[in-house]
This record gives sequence, C-alpha cells and structure tokens, in this order.
Amino acid sequence: MATKRPLSDILADAMPKLVLAPSFLIVMVCIYGYILWTFALSFTKSRMLPQWKFVGVEQYTKLFNNDRWAVASENLIVFGGLFILICLAIGIFMAILLDQKIRQEGFLRTIYLYPMAISFIVTGTAWKWLLNPSIGLQKIVRDWGFPDFTFDWLVNSEMVVFCLVIAAVWQSSGFVMALFLAGLRGVDQEIIKAAQLDGAAMSTIYRRIILPSLKPVFFSAFVILSHIAIKSFDLVTALTGGGPGYSSDLPANFMYAHAFTRSQMGLGAASGIVMLGGVLAILIPYLYSELRQKKAR
Amino acid sequence: MITHQKRSLSQIVMRLGLYSILAFMALIYLAPLFVMLINSLKDVEEIRTGSLLALPQNPSFAAWSKAWGSACTGSTCEGIAPFFLNSFKIVIPAVIISTLLGALNGYVIAMWRFKGSELFFALLLFGCFIPFQVVLLPMAMTLGWLGLASSASGLILVHVIYGLAFTTLFFRNYYVGLPRELISAAKIDGAGFFLIFWRIVLPLSPPIIVVTVIWQFTQVWNDFLFGVVFSGADNLPVTVALNNLVNTSFGGKEYNVDMAAALLAALPTILVYVFAGKYFVRGLSAGAVKGA
Amino acid sequence: MAALTIENIKKSYGSTEVLKGIDIAIDKGEFLVLIGPSGCGKSTMMNSIAGLESVSEGRILIGGEDVTHANPKDRDIAMVFQSYALYPNMTVHGNISFGLEVRKMPKDQREIQVAKVAKLLQLEHLLERKPAQLSGGQRQRVAMGRAIAREPKIYLFDEPLSNLDAKLRVEMRAEIKKLHQRLGTTIVYVTHDQVEAMTLADRIAVMKEGILQQLASPQEIYDRPANLFVAGFMGSPPMNFIRATLTSEDHLTITTASDSLQLPLINGCISQQYIGKEVILGIRPEMITEPLEHKSDAAFTQVVSLKVLLKEAMGADTIVQAQFAETELRCRINPTYSAPLDQHCDFMFDMSKAVFFDPETELLI
Repeated sequence: MATKRPLSDILADAMPKLVLAPSFLIVMVCIYGYILWTFALSFTKSRMLPQWKFVGVEQYTKLFNNDRWAVASENLIVFGGLFILICLAIGIFMAILLDQKIRQEGFLRTIYLYPMAISFIVTGTAWKWLLNPSIGLQKIVRDWGFPDFTFDWLVNSEMVVFCLVIAAVWQSSGFVMALFLAGLRGVDQEIIKAAQLDGAAMSTIYRRIILPSLKPVFFSAFVILSHIAIKSFDLVTALTGGGPGYSSDLPANFMYAHAFTRSQMGLGAASGIVMLGGVLAILIPYLYSELRQKKAR
Repeated sequence: MITHQKRSLSQIVMRLGLYSILAFMALIYLAPLFVMLINSLKDVEEIRTGSLLALPQNPSFAAWSKAWGSACTGSTCEGIAPFFLNSFKIVIPAVIISTLLGALNGYVIAMWRFKGSELFFALLLFGCFIPFQVVLLPMAMTLGWLGLASSASGLILVHVIYGLAFTTLFFRNYYVGLPRELISAAKIDGAGFFLIFWRIVLPLSPPIIVVTVIWQFTQVWNDFLFGVVFSGADNLPVTVALNNLVNTSFGGKEYNVDMAAALLAALPTILVYVFAGKYFVRGLSAGAVKGA
Repeated sequence: MAALTIENIKKSYGSTEVLKGIDIAIDKGEFLVLIGPSGCGKSTMMNSIAGLESVSEGRILIGGEDVTHANPKDRDIAMVFQSYALYPNMTVHGNISFGLEVRKMPKDQREIQVAKVAKLLQLEHLLERKPAQLSGGQRQRVAMGRAIAREPKIYLFDEPLSNLDAKLRVEMRAEIKKLHQRLGTTIVYVTHDQVEAMTLADRIAVMKEGILQQLASPQEIYDRPANLFVAGFMGSPPMNFIRATLTSEDHLTITTASDSLQLPLINGCISQQYIGKEVILGIRPEMITEPLEHKSDAAFTQVVSLKVLLKEAMGADTIVQAQFAETELRCRINPTYSAPLDQHCDFMFDMSKAVFFDPETELLI
C-alpha cells in the first residue's frame, strides 16, 4: 500500500525550484521585461518622463535622420571593426610568441593582462594625456627634434575615432592574447609531434594545423570583443567626451545623452533597441552555428 | 619540441628578435601606467614645460594628497577619498550577495536539474550579452518606484541583478565538473538540499569563489555606466568622481592631481590583480568558463 | 517476507523504455548479482532501488514496506559507488560518520559505531586521513565502511571493483565475500564481470535490454542457461554454438559442405517433438578436450578430428580454436597434448552437459 508523502518531503522536493525562483523572477523582469518596456517606450512620444502615447515608428525615423546618430553608428563600425581586427591580430601574434617557451612567460603575461583590471575611465583618462597634442606624444616627439611631427588626432574630428581604437586595443588585446594562448596550449601535442615526424616545418604546422584548430577561440574572442565594442561608453566619456563636438560619439553615449540629459526618452529608448539589434545580429548567427555543430556531433 | 644543445646563429638571432618584440610590447603596455606615475610626482609647471616621459626632478606626493583629500569633483572639493569609501560601500555588499546567489543558482542548475532549469540557464546567459542601454530607463523607473533612486542600496541592487548572469555561469560550470555521485551518496546518507550545499559542495568551492569574487569586484569597482545613471550626489562611486575631477578645470588643468587621482582609483583592482591574479587563472582552468 | 521485492518495474526516459517489467524477490541475507552488457538497465535498476531515480510503473518493497515513492534516505539502504563518491573535504572518520550525523545519532554512539566499522575493515590507522591521501583499495574500504556504519536493510554495490587493478580486484572480491558471510547482510551487486558474479552471488539476475533473462544460482545459470544470450554471456571462454539437426532420440547430426557428423546424446535430454528439426547445440570449451582415457568408453563421448587454427596458453590449460564444420570451436586441452597448428588432431566431445536451444525462440529446450 503506498503511503502518502509527508508535507516536509514535498517541500524538500520543491526546494531547488524555490531557490531558483527569485533569480528567475529577476531575469524575467529585469532583463526580458525591461527590454520589452524599452521596446514599447521607443514607440511613444516620451520626453522627460514616459508618456504612453504611441506614435508608431516616429522615433526610429527621427533616429535614422539624426546626424549625431549617423556619426555614432559610423563610428561604431569603424571603431568596432578596427578594434576587433587589431585585437585579434595582436592577440594571436603575441600568443604565438609567448608560446615559444619564454623564460619569463608568467611575468610577461601579468604585464600584458593588467590593463583589463583597470576601469575604462582610468584608461580613457590616461590616454587622453598621452594623445593630447600639447603635452603628450606630439610634444614628446617634437622635443626629440622633429618639430614638424603632428599627432593631433585627439582634436581632429576626422581622426579622433582612431584614438578610441588605440586606447581600447591597449586595454583589451592582452585578454585576447590570453584566450589564444590557452587555445594554443590546448592543442593536442601528439598531432604536432606526428606532423614533425612527417617532416613539416614549424611555420607549416602553425598554418595548417594549429591556427585552424583555433577557430572556436577566434569566434569566442570575436563575440566578446564585439560585445565590448557595442557597450563602449566609459571610454568615450573619459577619453574624448564624445568630441570634438560629437565626432567621436558612440551609440551608447548617444543613448545616455538623449535618455537622461536631453530629456528625449523615446529617442533614447529607440537607440537602445537598435543597439540591442546590433548585438543580436552577431549573437544569433553565432549561437545558431554552435547549436548546429552540437547537433551534428 | 626537439631541442638541440648548441643553437645555430639564426636560431639565436630569432630568439633575440622574439625577446625584443616581447619586451617592446611590455613597454607599450606599461607606458601609460609609468607616465601617470612619474607625472603625478611632478608639479604642474614641470609637466607643462617638460616632457611627459621625463622623470620628476623633485618628486613629491603633494598631488597625491590633494587628489585624495582636497581636489574638486564637481560641486564639492574633498578629493576622491569619500568616493573611494562609497565604492567600497557599494562593491562589498554587491560582490557578497551576487556571489552567494550565483553559488546557489549554479548549485541548483548543475546538481538538481529539473524541467526548465536548463532553459532558465540559457535565458540567464543571454542576459550576459545585452547592452545595458536597453534596461537603464526601466531600471531607473523601478528604483524610483521602490524608493531607491539615487541611493547606494539601489546601485547595489542593480549590480547584483546584472552580475547574477556571470556569477551563476561561473558556479554552474564549476559544479558541473564535480562528480554527481557525490550528491547521490549524500542523498542516501540522508542529507537534504541545504545540508548537501553547506557540508559538501561549498567546502569544495574555494577556487571558484575566488574567481567569482575577483571578477565581480573588478566589474563593480570599475563600473561607470550604472554609477553615473543610478547613484546620487552623496554616493557616487570613485569612477564617476574621477571623471568629474578630470573634467572640472577651475583655471588650468592640474595634470598631476588628475593622474594621482586616476592611479588611486585604479589601485584596488590592480592590487587585486597583482596579488590574486594567479588564483583567478587557476580557478578559471579549474573549469569556471567552459562555454555555455 | 522477502527482504527486497521488485514488482513489474518499468522505467522510461521519454520514449525510450529502459526497464521493461522486472520482477525479482530476494530473501534476507541473500547476495544478488545483477549482470548484463552495457545498456541492459542494471544501473538504472540499481538507482531505482536506491530511490535516486523514480520508476514509471511497478512497486518496490523493502522488508515488506512499499518504498516506491520514498526518498533514498527513508528506504534504509546504503550504496557503494563505482567511483566511491567519498566526501573529499572530510576525513575517513567524517565520511563514515556523516550519515549517522545526519540521522542525529548522539556523538558517543557515533564514535562507537565508527570504531566498530574501522576495526572490521582495518581502517583504524587511516581515520584522520582525507580521501585524496588514500590508495584505491583503501578508498573502496572506506566506501564500504560508510555503508556498513548505517546498518541498513539492504546494501547496494554499483560496480565497486571496476576502478581497481586486476590483482586488487581479486583481493577485494574475497574481502566482500568474507564480509557478507560475517555480517549476513542482504546485498544487491551490479557488475559486468562474470567472474565476480559467479564467485560472489547466491543468485544471479542476467539482464539484457531491460528484460530479465534469468534469475538463478550461479551453477544453474552455468549449467542450464535459460536462453542463447545467457549461455553465450556467462562463462569464459564463451560457450560454443553449433547448428545441428536432431536425427533421432539419441543422435545429433551436424551437416557440413563436405560430410556429416554424428554426435551421441544422452537419452531423453531433448523432447521428441524436435526430431527432424534444427536445434542449436551448446557445448562449453571444457567439454571439448583431448581424448581422455577414462571417458573413452562412455556412451556420451565421441572423438572427432578437427583442424587446429589457434592456440592460447593459459598456464593451467591451453585454449584451442579448431575448425568444426562452418564454425570455430573453442576447446580446452591439457598443455602437454600435442596439437600443432594447421594440423588435424583428435578431440573428445563430452556431451553429458550439452544444452540445446530452439533456433527461433533462442530458449533452452
């Protein structure tokens, strides 16, 4: 005869679900709920406070006709693209170098990685001085005897984006290097030995065996770097303040400015949603290909 | 690799080239830190007239004490010391709470799987990737509604909420690597959900606790976006204060003070990195981040 | 009252049925071994008895009490895992006493119990060590100690010896048997190693694809396997199978491409309805030997000439693979018997223990 289950047992069985419940609530509300809220807001006329008067895609039209947004978006593509490419290049290059059984590897790794521990505000501030024409690199090189040397990118509205790239690469390339180094270390040594016995030179081994096996690391690094690029807000605030004018603005700064300081919540919300769209555009194909790979196994 | 006793000349040259490149890169990475340090020890005139790279003639910590105690950050001129304290007041509770919640969540997802727990994990992970711009406005509304606008508690809450995804990820990936038979044995021994966590799983967690705490400390201390949006004038974190300090110029920039302030603001996370960094790496290879 | 009753247990994972209706009843003090190939469901069965997994249908009774829906801790069972699952952060002492602590046994009683178990398993000098500091065999004993300390109604062993090297395995097997004799406990033991099954069990339950193939004593399973699968699975080297036609009550005919061979049968060992039909003859290697003097006059022996294909010296005897009709047979011969490779030699078939299977149902005739 089956005995009825005591209440304490039923409670104990439900405990895992109960423990997860608060986090579940938080996730549903503060991530997905909020995204929906912002999404809804982007279709309203909200200015300083939320006004639930729906105006269709008016904010989006305004957004795409906004010159500052156009500059910010273009900047993001330039900044993001260069940032990712250069970080990947430096990262893989340095990783290969470090993989050559360097004696001070641990020490060097610590130096290459420490910038990740610093806030983007500090990084931005530091590079602001280094790139400042009147006291930074330009002055230093001129003092070394090259009076015509100019490096005034920071105040040049055409070139200021590249300053962002320099600072961001300085901050993040060490991390990419660490990722690749771990990937290199994870390569099966037996395959390399077999190739060496087959007579292949190291450069061939790198090109044909090791680098292809790092494809997953490339993808992870790409995803992480694009995420950093799209979220970049602190760096711009500290390094250029968006300037000169708004020539070094990025979408994140645009959003903050309009949502909080310029009392244009609706527009700010729309810009936030477009940023989300950008992230999804990269993330979803990546996830899709990962899932397909897993199924194929 | 097959190594020979005596290296050929070309190999020696290549080795030299290798080391020089690495050393050069090291210099580039260290340069900004170096520049900030030496210039924080100079006086403003020396910076303006001299080179950023030149060593200080009469090194002094005057700029440091000004940065700490009397520099102007917007409307107040108390240095960054009070904001340093604010950051600690925000970081410590945020790290503790988000780590604890992450541990419990990771424990449930890894070892007490039930229908929907994996889906929840996927939804949570996705939250790691969203740009926070899409949640700033509603979050600000919610904090106002809860009466926590511009408060330290509000900022702590925000950091806990948005740190949850990563802390759960770390713990879950770590716990998935623990033998599941351990839990079965404990169940047979009669232990329940919390007893197993307290007596068996938690004592096995130090490596991942270290990773999570270091990660969260760094993230929360270095945060600027949440700080600038959600804090009020009397609980600004040090990153916001630093930005204000550097961008406030009452007649001429005091570069030395600015640099000292920046170094001070960066000090805690750099120290954590220098002293605990290897535990972080060790913990990571113990299986913290293995991919979703 | 049976110590453990498993009634029509069915278990499915989604659409896959892993256990298809298992019925077993064991008595107090009995040592039951669950054996079968990978995927047969023996581990699932074990986990279901323990309560670590739920069943889709059926009942489990321990000591007459229905525990089908009870938690593991309420079933009065203890388990020894393949990987031992010792708590890494506790000492040996802590590991053994943990279950007692959880059940709120007072400290002095716990100490007595731990000391008792430590003495029984010679763990006294290891009590303050942590699992990481122990050898495989020692960890195994601690795992057993943890189970014994609780004095449960039923002990569950899930392939406990699989992680040990061969020599240690033989030693620990003997220790488990001695413990069983000493403590008189009811044990359910899962293994894929038939030597363990044969030596330890009071009864063996052979499983395949979620179905119980046979539940009987080791000798019974060896001599009278219920079907082709059990016959081929138990016994090493495995039983030989030969297709043959039952020509008469006392003769079996095996036809090859070139000729036919007749083997004698013990009267009445197969029912008459099979006369003229095909059967599968099962004969163990030790029943095909070199011609033995003392058996040469027996009615159930027959000398046959076979071609030797392969020889494996095992020390005590030699296993020969020989060609017989279309099949390769394994035979056990005395190492001194000359059987050169690729030559024809005489082998004696002893049909006294031969078994027969219906080719379609694969069941024992």
